[in-house]
Amino acid sequence: MSATPVLDRIPLRSARLSEPSVRLALRPGDVPLVEPGDRVAPGDPLLRRPRHPQVGEQALHGMTAPQPGTRFGEGMTLAGGGRHPLRFDGAGEVLYATPGGRLRAVISRHHAIVESPVAGTVVSLDACALDIRVDGVAIQGAMVVGEPSFGPLIIAVDSAEAELHAQGIDVRHAGAVLVAGSRVDVESLTRARAMGVRGVIAGGVIGGDVLALRASIDRQEASVHASPAFALVVLDGYGKRPIPRDAWDALTLAAGETVGLTVTPPLVVLPRGATHAESEPDRVRVAAGPHLGRIGRAVELAGSRRQAAGVYQDCVRVALDPLVSPGPPDLVDVPIADLERDG
Amino acid sequence: MTSGAHPFFTLDIGSATVGGGLVARIEGRWRLLASAAVPAGVGVEPLLRRLAEGVAAADANLLGGAGDWREWARVESRTGPPPRVVVAGPSDRAVEPLLHAFATDGWQTTATVTPERAAALDAAVALRDPDLALVVVAAPEGAGGREREALLDVAALIGAMAGLREDLPVLVAGSAAASIPDFPPERIVRAHGPADAVAVAREAVPRPCEGREGFIRSIVSLAAILDLRIEGVDVGFDAGTRVLAGPDGLMRRLVLADAALVPPGALEDQRMLDAIARWSPLADDAYAVRDRLRNLRIAPWRDAAGDGARLRLAAARAALDRLQEAWQDDARERGRGFLRLPDRGATGEEDVSPDLVIASGGAFAAPPGPAVALALVDTLRRPGAVALTLDHARILGPLGVLDDESDRRRLLADLVDDVLLPLGSAIVAPGLRPARRGSLRVTADGATTTLPLTSGAVQVVDLPPGLAATAELDSPDDLYVGARARRVAFSVTGGLGGLLVDTRDIPLRLPERPERRREYLDAWQRPLWTNAEP
Repeated sequence: MSATPVLDRIPLRSARLSEPSVRLALRPGDVPLVEPGDRVAPGDPLLRRPRHPQVGEQALHGMTAPQPGTRFGEGMTLAGGGRHPLRFDGAGEVLYATPGGRLRAVISRHHAIVESPVAGTVVSLDACALDIRVDGVAIQGAMVVGEPSFGPLIIAVDSAEAELHAQGIDVRHAGAVLVAGSRVDVESLTRARAMGVRGVIAGGVIGGDVLALRASIDRQEASVHASPAFALVVLDGYGKRPIPRDAWDALTLAAGETVGLTVTPPLVVLPRGATHAESEPDRVRVAAGPHLGRIGRAVELAGSRRQAAGVYQDCVRVALDPLVSPGPPDLVDVPIADLERDG
Repeated sequence: MTSGAHPFFTLDIGSATVGGGLVARIEGRWRLLASAAVPAGVGVEPLLRRLAEGVAAADANLLGGAGDWREWARVESRTGPPPRVVVAGPSDRAVEPLLHAFATDGWQTTATVTPERAAALDAAVALRDPDLALVVVAAPEGAGGREREALLDVAALIGAMAGLREDLPVLVAGSAAASIPDFPPERIVRAHGPADAVAVAREAVPRPCEGREGFIRSIVSLAAILDLRIEGVDVGFDAGTRVLAGPDGLMRRLVLADAALVPPGALEDQRMLDAIARWSPLADDAYAVRDRLRNLRIAPWRDAAGDGARLRLAAARAALDRLQEAWQDDARERGRGFLRLPDRGATGEEDVSPDLVIASGGAFAAPPGPAVALALVDTLRRPGAVALTLDHARILGPLGVLDDESDRRRLLADLVDDVLLPLGSAIVAPGLRPARRGSLRVTADGATTTLPLTSGAVQVVDLPPGLAATAELDSPDDLYVGARARRVAFSVTGGLGGLLVDTRDIPLRLPERPERRREYLDAWQRPLWTNAEP
C-alpha cells in the first residue's frame, strides 16, 4: 500500500516555516528606530521603549494640543513658548487632550532599547505593531515565556530526551541560547537567567514552573535595573516531552550559530546559512500516549480501533524505530490524532 | 440511484478540528452518507476524499454518476477565537449592562475603561491590541453631571487612541447626542443601548459563516420542525454555546468565551484548572492533571482515549457548568430588568427540562455516548424527563449558515434521524430522602422491569436506541420533576446510554474533600464506562 494516502490523514506539524513573519507589539511611548523596508540583523535596535512609563498631565492654557501619537524628547517644547512652554519632564508620546483643557502623555525618564531577535526586513509599521519578514527558516514552538531574544546556540544536553539540570549551567553560557532537552525546571531557568543566558529551548516544561518564571520576569521588569531579554521557547507542550526529532536535528546543525527566539508567534529562528535536515516523507512522530516521542514509518491505515475507555479512533500502523539499535522495528497501531508528521 | 443525488459536503471548520459530512438525495430524501472529524492540521481535502472514497467503497453505484467529488458543493461554517472588544464608559454602573451583553454574546472583553477601573495608560495599551475588533462606549441617557464629564473624558481618550488606527470601529451605545471627538464619523456605529448593542456589533464586525450562529439557527429550525422545545449545547475549543428554542422560535441564547473546553486563561490560572479537575475521577497528582489540561488546550485532538477521555469529559463538564452559571446569571439580569432586553419568549418554563437536548462540538466527539449522556445530566440540571442526542456529524453549524430558512428546514426534516445520535433519556427527580426507597418501573414492548429507586444516585436502565418506554417513579417522598409528586410517569426513548434516572440534588453537590469527591464521581460514572476497556 502506498504511504501517501496514509500520510495525508496524519496531522501536519508546521514545524518548519520558511521566511515567516514575526510581530512586535508596540506599547504607548515606544519610539520605532526602523522603517518599513529596512534590513535588520540580530541585535540591531528596533525600538526605544520607556521603562516604568507614567501618565503625565499639563494644562494647555488655550494652546493648540499636539496630535495624539506625537512623540517628544525630554524637555522638548510641544506647544506655546516664551514663559509658558508646554513640555513634560521626560520623553514620551501624547495620548490625548481632555475636554477640560489638559494634555495627557505617557512619559518616562528611562528607556531601554529593544533589539531585533532576527535577521530580516521590516515589512510594516503602524501604531500597533512592527512586522518583520524573517530570513531563513524557523521551528515553531508550542508556547513561549519572556521577551524576544537571540544568541549563539549551545546544545546543553546529550539527547532530545535528556533534561538540563541547574548544575549544568555556568558562566560559559552567558549570552547564549541553550537547548535543554525534554524538560527544564524553574531552578535551571533561574540559574540560566542569573548567568546571563539569553534563552532556553526545551521540549516540555511543568506548568507551575512557567508561572514561577513569569512572576520572576515581572519582578525583574519592575526593578530599577534593566536585564537582558530572556525567552523560554517550549517546542511540544507541558510536562516532560522529548524535543521532536526533526527539531533536534535542525538545532544540532545550527549549534554555534546565532538563533533568534520570538514571541509572536513562538519561534526558534535559524540563520539562513544553517541547513535544515530534510526528513523522510513517511516518517511520523508519536505526539501522545504510551509511545510519546518515538518516531517511525507509517506503514498503512489500520482502520477504526477500540481504545481504552471505549473510544474508537482511526489508527495507522507504524513501524517504530527500535528502542535499542540494531533491532527490528516495533509494529504498533497508533491513533491518527496522536501522530504528527513534519511539514 | 445515481442521477439527481446532488451530493454536497458539510464542513465545520474549527480552530482545533474539522468535522465533515457527506449528504446526498437518495430515493427522494436527503441522507447523511458519511461523516468524520480530523485534527485541523490534516486539512480539508484529505477529509473530503476520505468521505467520498468511503461511500464509493461501500456502494459504488450510490454516487457513481455524481462526478468528481472535488466538484461537489460545500456548505461550510467556521468557528474561531472570540472577537475582542474594549468596553468604555463614564462609570462602572454604565458599563455593567454592556459587559454582560457582550460576554453572553461570545465576545472577549480585553479591557474595561472607566474612571474607576482603568488608568489612561492601561486604556492606551488595550486600544493598541492588533487583534482588537471593536470599541464600545456606553453613553447612558440622562447621565448626571459627574458622569457627563467622565463620558467626555473617556470619549476623548477613545477618539485619540482609536484614531491612531485605520480600521477600528467604535460603537456608541445610548445617547444619540454622545460623540467621539476627532474620530472619523464613518467609523462610528450607534446603538440605542445594551439591548441592541450586540446586534449592531455583529453587523459592524461581520463574521460570515460563523458556526456558533449557525448552530443556534439550526436548533431554532429543528424546534419548529419537530414542534418541540429543544436545548442545544456546544462546547468547542474557543467558546461554549447554549440555546433554548421552542416551536415559536428562539427563547434564549448564550455564547460564552469562558465556556470553551479549556479556556486560554486557564493556562496560567491554577484555580480555573483546579475547578476543571474537580470533575475528574482520576487520582493523579494535581500537578500532572493541570499539565494534562494545559496540553488539552494546546493540542485538543491528542490523547483522546483512556484517562484522556475521562479528563476531556471532566473539562466538558466544567465548561457546561460555567455555561449553566452564566445562563442563570443571565436569567437573573433579565428578571430584574437590568438589561431591559426585549422579551424573547422567556416564560419561566425554562426552569423545567426541555423535550430534547442536542449536544455538539469537539468536546463530545470522542468519548463514548453513554458517558456523554451523564456529563449532560450532571451539568444541565433541570427537573423532569428529557431526551438526549448528539450532533455526531457536526452538521448543525454548517446547515445553520444557509441563508434560506425553508432550505434549512427541508434539509433538516429529512436529515434529523441521521444527524441526531440518540444518547438516551434522563429523568432528573430529586427529593427522595436519604435511606428511603422508592421504585422505578420501566415498561417497554409489553415487558416490565421493576427496580428500587434510591436517593442521591444515578440508575442506568438498559434501553436500546429506538425503543420507546414508559418509566414510572413511585416514591415515599415528594419528588420534584417540575411539580411535586410521589407518583409520576414519563414517556422515554432509548439510546446508547439507555435511561438515566437521577435522584441527586439540583444543583449537583460535590464533596469538598478530593478523595471523597473522586469516589462519588467514580461511582456515578463507572456504570456508563462499563465494558469500556478494549
